Amino acid sequence: MAIKMKGFSKTLLATAAALAIAGTAQAETLKIALAGPATGPVAQYGDMQKIGVEAAIDYFNANGGINGMEVEGVIYDDACDPKQAVAVANKIVNDGITHVVGHLCSSSTEPASDIYYEEGILMITAASTSPSITEKGYDTIFRTIGLDSLQGTLAADYISGTVKPERVAVIHDKQQYGEGLATTVRDSLVEAGIEPVMFEGVTAGDKDFSALIAKLQKADVDFVYYGGYHPELGLILRQSKEKGFEAQFMGPEGIVNSDLAKIAGDATEGVLATAPKSFDKNPENALRVAAIEEKGLDPTGPFVFPAYAAVQIMADTIDAIDSTDPMAMAEYISANEFETAIGHVKYDDKGDLTESTFLVYELHADGSKTAAE
Amino acid sequence: MTEASLYLLQQIINGLTIGSTYALIAIGYTMVYGIIGMINFAHGEIYMIGSYISFIVITGLLAMGHIALPAVLFVALVVAMLVASSYGWAIERVAYRPLRGSNRLIALISAIGMSIFLQNYVVLAQGSRDVAMPPLISGSLVEFGSLETFEVTISWMQLLIWVVTLISMTVLTLFISRSRMGRACRACAEDIGMTNLLGIDTNRIIAMTFVIGAALAAIAGLLLGLYYGVVNPFVGFIAGLKAFTAAVLGGIGSIPGAMLGGLILGVTEALTAAYFPSEYKDVVSFGLLVLILLFRPTGILGKPEVEKV
Repeated sequence: MAIKMKGFSKTLLATAAALAIAGTAQAETLKIALAGPATGPVAQYGDMQKIGVEAAIDYFNANGGINGMEVEGVIYDDACDPKQAVAVANKIVNDGITHVVGHLCSSSTEPASDIYYEEGILMITAASTSPSITEKGYDTIFRTIGLDSLQGTLAADYISGTVKPERVAVIHDKQQYGEGLATTVRDSLVEAGIEPVMFEGVTAGDKDFSALIAKLQKADVDFVYYGGYHPELGLILRQSKEKGFEAQFMGPEGIVNSDLAKIAGDATEGVLATAPKSFDKNPENALRVAAIEEKGLDPTGPFVFPAYAAVQIMADTIDAIDSTDPMAMAEYISANEFETAIGHVKYDDKGDLTESTFLVYELHADGSKTAAE
Repeated sequence: MTEASLYLLQQIINGLTIGSTYALIAIGYTMVYGIIGMINFAHGEIYMIGSYISFIVITGLLAMGHIALPAVLFVALVVAMLVASSYGWAIERVAYRPLRGSNRLIALISAIGMSIFLQNYVVLAQGSRDVAMPPLISGSLVEFGSLETFEVTISWMQLLIWVVTLISMTVLTLFISRSRMGRACRACAEDIGMTNLLGIDTNRIIAMTFVIGAALAAIAGLLLGLYYGVVNPFVGFIAGLKAFTAAVLGGIGSIPGAMLGGLILGVTEALTAAYFPSEYKDVVSFGLLVLILLFRPTGILGKPEVEKV
C-alpha cells in the first residue's frame, strides 16, 4: 500500500511539474483529462485506465505527438463517487480541458456526462457499461467498451449458430444483471427460431436447487443458459452432476471467477461463458504490452486497452480533421471507423460500439479459460 | 410408474432431504421456546458456525492424508458438535441469563444483537466470501424408472442426511422421554417456577437445552455443508428463518412438531418449485406459515398455551 501511495504521489508531482511547464508552451500541448478513481475501494480500476492512457500518450509523444502537439494526461480523482464526479467534471471545465477519458464507474460517468455534454466536451469512457449513459442521446459521449446486453446477443448467436441444442432452458437469479441478460438471450433465441422450453428465476443466495434440476431433467433440457453470478451457478452445476443431469451450461461474465471451479469442482469443465476479450493476448498488441511491462506495470487489466483505444480514437480524429474542436471531433468519430488496440471500432448513432468486445470462452475445472470455437 | 408419478416421487425425496435438515435446526428453536418462552434468533448463526467448524476439520484432516473418509466425517461431526455446543452455552450465559426475568422483548433484542455479532465475527475471522469444499460423497444408491421417461435417483448424500437425522431424532426423543435430565427438561417446560421449588437446578436445564439445540444445529451444519459444498457467514440467517418457520408450523414448543414442521416445509418447497416457477418457492412456504398462524395459531402439533397464574 505504501509503495502504491508513493507511486501515486509521484505521479501527482509529475503532473504538477508537467502542468507548470505546460503553462509556458500551451499552444503545442494537448491536454487529456483522465477521470476515474485514484483513491477508494475501486482505485485498482482507475490504475488500469491510467496504465492504458499513459501508455498511449507515451507512444504518441515518442512518435511526434498528435498532429504535432505534445500530449499530456491530467489525472482527476472522482473516487468512484457520483458527487465527487460532478465536482471533478466542473473542475475539468474550469481548467479548460475539452477531452476526457473516463469516468470509470457508470454511476460516476452518468452525472459527469451531463456536464460534459452541456459544455461541449468530448468524453470517451473505457469502462462504464450501463446502457443509460448513451441513452440520453448526448452526441459527445462515446465508449470503448461493450454494453452488458451485448453479451446476451453474443451468447444467443453462439447457441443458435454453434451449439444448436434441441431443448434450451433459460434460468436467471431475478436480479437486474442476471434477469436482464437472460431476457435478452431468450428474446434473441426466439428470433433465431429457438423457443426455450423453460424460462425461470431462482432466488439469489439459495443453496438447494434439487427441485429445479429435477424439473430440468423432466423437461429433457440439453442446454441451460444461466443469467447471474457464480455462487448459484456453482451449486447448480455441482448438484446437477450429483443427480446425473448432463446438459451444456452457459453464463455471462458474472460467472467467470475462479471461485466457480472451487464450488463446482469437475462440473466446471466445459461450461461456456461470455467474457471481455483478453486484449493483452492479441498479437497485434504485443509491442504495447511489452512497453507497459517495461515500465513495471500490469497490462492484463480489462480496462487497460479500452483506455488505450480511447486515446487512439482521439488522436486519429485530430489527425484527420486537423482540429481539436470537440464538436467537430464527435461528428467525425460517429461517422467513421477506427483501427485500435481493441480492434475495429465503429459507433452506432448512440455512441455505443457496434461490435461486441466480448468473446465466448470455455471454462475449465482448474479455474482457467480458453476461447471456445 | 408413469413419468408424472416418478417426477413427483423425486421431488418428494428432494423435499424430505432438505426438510430433515430444517427439522434438525428447528429443534433448537422449539426447545428453547418450550422452556423459557423466548426465540433464540442467534440459533441460525450456530448452524453456520457448525458448518464452518466441520469444513475446517474436514479440510485439515484430508490434508494430513491417509485417513478413511468415515473417520474424517465422524471426527468433524464430534468437533463441530462440541464447538457449537460451547457457543450455545456461552450465548445463553452471556446474552440471555442476565436478562431472564426481564421483559421478553429485551431478551429478543439481545438475541438479534447476538445474531448480528456472530455473523460479523465470522466475517472478520473467515472472510465474507464463499468457502467451498470438493464433493466428498458422490454417486447414487438407487436409480429407477427409465432414461426415456424419468429417472428417480437417491444419492448417497441424501441417504446419509436421512440416516443421520433419523438417528439424532431417535436419540433426542429417547433422551427427553427416558432420562432423568429429560424428565427435568419436560418439567421445566410445564412449569419452570415449580420445578425450581422442587429442587431442580433450572439454570442447568436451560443451559442444557441450548447445548442440545446447538449440537443438533451443528449436525445440520455438517450435513448441509457436505451436501452443498459451500458455506459463507450469511447462510445462518436464511436457514434460521426457514427452521423457525418449520418450528412455528409444527407448533413451537413441541419437539415432534418441529420434526414434522421441517419435513412439511421441505416437501412444500420442493413441490412448489416442481409445479410452479421456482421463484415462488419462498412465497408459498411463508404463505403457508401465515395460513397456519391464522387458522391454527398453535401450529399443527402445538398445545394452546395455558395462562400461567
